[in-house]
Amino acid sequence: MNSNTIVENLKKEIENFSLQMKVEKVGKVVEVFDGIAKVSGLSDIKSSEMVTFPNGETGVALNLEEDAVGVIILGDFSKIKEGDEVKATGKILEIPVGDSILGRVVNAIGAPIDGKGAIKASKTYPIEKVAPGVVTRQAVDQAVATGIKVIDAIIPVGRGQRELIIGDRQTGKTAIAIDAILNQKGQNMICVYVSIGQKDSKLRKLGARLEAGGAMDYTVIVSAGASEAASMSYIAPYAGVSIAEYFMDQGKDVLIIYDDLSKHAVAYREISLLLRRPPGREAYPGDVFYLHSRLLERACRRNAKYGGGSITALPIVETQAGDVSAYIPTNVISITDGQIFLETDLFYKGIRPAVNVGLSVSRVGSSAQIKGMKKVAGTLKLDLAQFRELEAFAQFGSDLDESTKKQLERGKRAVEVLKQLQYSPIKIENQIVTLYALTKGYMDDVAIDKIKEFENGLVEYCERHAKVFYKEIKESKMWTDKGEMELKKAIADFKVGFSK
Amino acid sequence: MSVTSNNDIARAIYLMSKDKSSSEQKNISEKVVKFLFKKRLLSKAPDILLRLKKIINGEEGRIEAKISSVEALSHQTKTSLEQALKKRYSVKEVTLKENIDKKLLGGIKIEVDDEVVDLSVKNKINKLQEYLTKTV
Repeated sequence: MNSNTIVENLKKEIENFSLQMKVEKVGKVVEVFDGIAKVSGLSDIKSSEMVTFPNGETGVALNLEEDAVGVIILGDFSKIKEGDEVKATGKILEIPVGDSILGRVVNAIGAPIDGKGAIKASKTYPIEKVAPGVVTRQAVDQAVATGIKVIDAIIPVGRGQRELIIGDRQTGKTAIAIDAILNQKGQNMICVYVSIGQKDSKLRKLGARLEAGGAMDYTVIVSAGASEAASMSYIAPYAGVSIAEYFMDQGKDVLIIYDDLSKHAVAYREISLLLRRPPGREAYPGDVFYLHSRLLERACRRNAKYGGGSITALPIVETQAGDVSAYIPTNVISITDGQIFLETDLFYKGIRPAVNVGLSVSRVGSSAQIKGMKKVAGTLKLDLAQFRELEAFAQFGSDLDESTKKQLERGKRAVEVLKQLQYSPIKIENQIVTLYALTKGYMDDVAIDKIKEFENGLVEYCERHAKVFYKEIKESKMWTDKGEMELKKAIADFKVGFSK
Repeated sequence: MSVTSNNDIARAIYLMSKDKSSSEQKNISEKVVKFLFKKRLLSKAPDILLRLKKIINGEEGRIEAKISSVEALSHQTKTSLEQALKKRYSVKEVTLKENIDKKLLGGIKIEVDDEVVDLSVKNKINKLQEYLTKTV
């Protein structure tokens, strides 16, 4: 392109440019502190309306008082001075969305932060939206395959469900979420990972991991880092769910992860206290329940009449010393459709993922579970429950009767089978084969330290020698007698080879 | 607990002294000062007066408009501006406060309370810049 064409283009653009005379509402900054600005004037402003500051920063009006407006500043507030002119935009805060956002890392207002250039946005979506109503919804009946045995078998998650991941620090909460994202490859699912108040180093590591696993093709990361203002952390999850809604409106299934909502609540507490709203329990403001309920309510499964699509939410909440009765954990537990409870003790015992099967529930997921899995998981749940009951007696060893001993051995093997390495999601068919072998007692005479080896070998062997079974699971989600016979034979054959 | 705002006080003062003779008004003013003193609100007096002025202006159909321009406006422009503002805000009287601001580069900027109509060249250039950088 030579200079002449540039000039020509510029001329054309300038000719197209028309300035409309517009009456603008302005106010003046009265005080600025800690990311909050008090602005006088701005009559007729709406709640959560966007305002612009002279240096291009945007803000959101949150507190509307008689003669001043409390504004949270999104971005750098160090250059905003007292007396600056603030303009109302008349728009509720919105973020740009478009298909090209896939594979990108954006901040809470949708601006790219991965250094890969601008994002071409086709639309803007408001950050706050009322959740889809009752008539547009449909019951959850399709599974999200997380690739984690213990979750897919015992605490299944359905498309459109909200399943909380809760536990102390360093128990593998994020690991479960990342594994779930990695396993969505080829499952026709868009993933949105919202990082709230996390270390940038963690985000970097996680991004690289997703990139390496080929997951970034269908993933968007929304990040509000620990060094950014609390206002960014506050709006990040809403921005994330708006992006998710954009994809859902195209009839797609979306998986969104909020990592984590306890930091989100803390950020909101900070903003609320700075805006002088009255503090309540644990100094959280009165509307902290609504803060999370309106966010999680936007996860849904829409029926075909209203365009279909779903948003599955996996919020993460961090507890302090296993205390689930703190304010935020109890709130979010009551909002969600179940929880995956992770425990430090289990983690250090080497049971990873450290899921406490007894305390974890999924209130709607079981109707979404595929039939074949449901069949094996039922027996597994029973085995595990009996094992927990008898575990206390395990130390008596030889004094136990035969059937108790047998149950203990089965339980130990079940625990062993449910262990799984990080970043190694397992296909649902393979999970069924393993759990089938376990629950039908094929593993009872395999030594506990050989279980993993047995499992890996078995899956590999069955993939080659039980093709009918695999085909049946894939097509009709359940096996027939023919497939079962074939599988039984394959397992028996493998065992002969294995014990040699 | 309800808080009486400065605006409420100003409105009360206006309603009390409305349609009163000058001797009565003097009496009322005295009482107001005493009240403010008793309630320790004297420090808020400037703000209250400002609000009182706004209320009186509003009630009596007067507005104050601040006009910024690069050079002094001609008489003709001023009268037509006054006419236009009277029509827009449906008031009887418009007071123009002129302000010379070289930074505007050209055109005028009209401010009425918190409403601004910016017709300055500077604003146009800013908007053009925004437009051009956006489309690229």
